[in-house]
Amino acid sequence: MSFQRQTMEAEPFDESDFLEFIALGGGNEVGRSCHVISYKGKTVMLDAGVHPAMNGMAALPFYDDYDLSTIDVLLISHFHLDHAASLPYVMMRTDFKGRVFMTHPTKAIYRWLLSDYVRVSAISANDSSALYTDADLSASFERIETVDYHSTTEVDGIKFTAYHAGHVLGAAMYFVEIGGIKVLFTGDYSREEDRHLNVAEVPPQRPDILITESTYGTSTHQPRQEKETRLLNLITKTILNGGRCLLPVFSLGNAQELLLVLDEYWQNNSNLEGIPVFYASSLARKCLAVYQTYINMMNDSIRKKFRDDRSNPFQFKHIRSLKNLERFDDLGPCVMVASPGMLQNGVSRELLERWAPDAKNTLIVTGYSVEGTLAKQILNEPSEFPSITGGGIKVPRRCFVEEISFAAHVDYKQNSEFIDLLNARNIILVHGEQTNMGRLKSALLSKYKDLRDSPEEIKIFNPRNSEEVRLPFRGEKIAKVMGT
Amino acid sequence: MSSSVYYQFRSQREPLRINFDGTGISIFDLKRDVILSNKLGDGTDFDLSIYNADTNDEYEDDTEILPRSSSVIVRRKAPAKPGRGTAARYANANAPPMSVINGSSGTGRKPTDFGSGGYNNQRRPLPTHQ
Ligand SMILES: [Zn+2]
Ligand SMILES: [Zn+2]
Repeated sequence: MSFQRQTMEAEPFDESDFLEFIALGGGNEVGRSCHVISYKGKTVMLDAGVHPAMNGMAALPFYDDYDLSTIDVLLISHFHLDHAASLPYVMMRTDFKGRVFMTHPTKAIYRWLLSDYVRVSAISANDSSALYTDADLSASFERIETVDYHSTTEVDGIKFTAYHAGHVLGAAMYFVEIGGIKVLFTGDYSREEDRHLNVAEVPPQRPDILITESTYGTSTHQPRQEKETRLLNLITKTILNGGRCLLPVFSLGNAQELLLVLDEYWQNNSNLEGIPVFYASSLARKCLAVYQTYINMMNDSIRKKFRDDRSNPFQFKHIRSLKNLERFDDLGPCVMVASPGMLQNGVSRELLERWAPDAKNTLIVTGYSVEGTLAKQILNEPSEFPSITGGGIKVPRRCFVEEISFAAHVDYKQNSEFIDLLNARNIILVHGEQTNMGRLKSALLSKYKDLRDSPEEIKIFNPRNSEEVRLPFRGEKIAKVMGT
Repeated sequence: MSSSVYYQFRSQREPLRINFDGTGISIFDLKRDVILSNKLGDGTDFDLSIYNADTNDEYEDDTEILPRSSSVIVRRKAPAKPGRGTAARYANANAPPMSVINGSSGTGRKPTDFGSGGYNNQRRPLPTHQ
């Protein structure tokens, strides 16, 4: 390794000169994000998620691979389950003794999302294999501290600041400083302006290490306008042909954005009047108040809409909220936005099984689909797929399947521009399937190949889970720290 | 006669217990029972190690018999080869759920093929309406 070569020439590095990074989850995979950085005896954990394609303890990050009692601070980037759903487990069932931080809106929505997770896990696990109980969730919830964007918190020599990540309401990037070394963790982030979120900010300081998501690897997103046009054309075509449109979504995040798109389209197209748009998520209804409360943390256009209309823009005019499928009269063409986003179970799965056999119907996959989930498999347009009822029952698939991603993650262009702007010397890739992450690494390496073996060399790491990355730091930075 | 050994996942606060008949249990059977009773799935996703709670030495021989009432530490590790977790050889073993150890050991049971099936299509869906 090249830094070892440098070591030979200069004075040997001391053990304490190394910053250590380890991914307990989210290394060469999307799901169960959990990373640890440790330097000069201070330890910070970033995120504590579960894997969306697995159940129970198998869905956890590899917590046995790290001594959790040494963690000083745990920062949660956003409320999605793959970043936050093992937090009650960490706080209640392990030796973890640190302090936990997240933004205010993250905390508000986290509560609803996780109690739903507990409830649904308990139903399908039907025994004690659930990771934690609602009581654990409540007891740990009190101990979670909140942070504001742009204000710096200091805990025993660890400084951190949250910046807008543009991924979902409350999503944060964390700029962390330990012993003079600066690390930026992007979490999931987006640089594309949408209808309600601020785009991810570029923090004002240059980090030494950038830990960035690599979900979309080297692929390119279709421009926003084209994507919306394609979506709305497909929906209109399906409806005029007498079919039904199913849009599986994460109940919080891209759902709100899609509903804003649909509501506006129905508002502007009177010929669609009478065609119902349903949104089946009781969770989203519970979180409506949270979305209203934190409109001040969203972008200018939605704040203006809020001011002008004097109503909650998330209180949609043309979208009917559906409490459960028993109340749904399935009589003709309609648009159904339903969770969960990866068709694992629940309402979206039930409707897919009902509608997939009819060629007039359309399935539009709007989020990122993790390996191992039905949403991922169905993109290959199989002629049939297994029914959730089990017993080897297969459902024929004749409906049209299209992927139009509204997932708020950067594509290659946005990610590499952001990486350029930050200009970190060390880049650690997380939150990407092996192939996507590998492609991104190769693309970045060839982009920066002229800097190789120069003092400005940019090192890129794509560690597997539990594979340690050790980065040597010393010199003026250390001297300064020791002086304080 | 029913016996127990106590185990604790390395990151967990509370010990758990495995019950069995006889005076001891092989490391192989203990690993399988830990996987089954914690619903850890097909094991392609992780490696599993067991350590002596006092010495922290790993039990490397699956045929070793652990006397009843022992305490051990269990570690669910990220697999050395992603998607090829060696825990699959225990998870897939076809043995009676709580096997009797009678002096002979579990050596007769060959690790089953753990490469087949692969990682992705073995996963079960997540129980959530997120
Ligand atoms: Zn997310
Ligand atoms: Zn994520």
